[in-house]
Amino acid sequence: STTAMSSSLTDACTPLKTKYDSCFNAWFEGYLEPVVSATSDEQRKALQKAKAEEYERNCGAMWTDYRDCVQRAVADKGLTQLLEDARKENPMQNPPSPPTKP
Amino acid sequence: MKLFSQSFHYDDNWTIVALAFFLRYPNPYASHVLSCDVISREFTDAGALRTTRLILKRGNLPAWFPAGIMPRQESWVVEESEVDPHGRVVRCVTRNLDHVKSLQVIESTELKEAQDGKSTFQHTDARFVSRFGWGLTKRIEQFGAAKFKANVERSRQGISLVLRSLRELREARM
Repeated sequence: STTAMSSSLTDACTPLKTKYDSCFNAWFEGYLEPVVSATSDEQRKALQKAKAEEYERNCGAMWTDYRDCVQRAVADKGLTQLLEDARKENPMQNPPSPPTKP
Repeated sequence: MKLFSQSFHYDDNWTIVALAFFLRYPNPYASHVLSCDVISREFTDAGALRTTRLILKRGNLPAWFPAGIMPRQESWVVEESEVDPHGRVVRCVTRNLDHVKSLQVIESTELKEAQDGKSTFQHTDARFVSRFGWGLTKRIEQFGAAKFKANVERSRQGISLVLRSLRELREARM
């Protein structure tokens, strides 16, 4: 079912996840359009700063509640170390070779 | 090690494809995704949005796979993504956290604005490494790659479906 797929790793966190995800999704949609269509670097940086503040204001508290819940669940499932080790390798700092042009 | 590589083209602009990518779970083509959580999210100094998600996926092992190797046919996957609205690119790397000796799959996806400035190009690379031994290493890597090809196609269908709903939603708003 649709609800099962959007679940958190533990039922206890699912309501917090749903609340946070809705907040983030709404914010993200309003973030991409203006930042992408900014006409100068200066305008884009100002927009990004304003949008980051808006995110903190709208979703910051929901994020803290959700994150704390997930961190506890991750620890309960014994995944903390696995996750830390994987993240230490930080693949984003070693991006894959650039793809060929379309 | 086995390598796999595939490219797609979406008619939609980068902004909406990037959004669909983030909204792709849940969708009917991703019923193997049991849970999906954001572990961390931050803005980089350059203004890109960086997200780490922890995903639980259900896997289907082939009949010849030795019994008792994977107690649960489930796998934890970590996904690191970066959205760069300036460069109009989403980069995403996923890898499984457990069962890595049987099969480690590292998938890299890039969603980039196409040169026409109106549509979007997706490129996915995947590496399959098994250290299983027992004469099965190659077979496992080949199985992983073959299954992955089907999964990438399913993932594209899922994103296309989310894109269609987003378009309909926007038309309804206008």
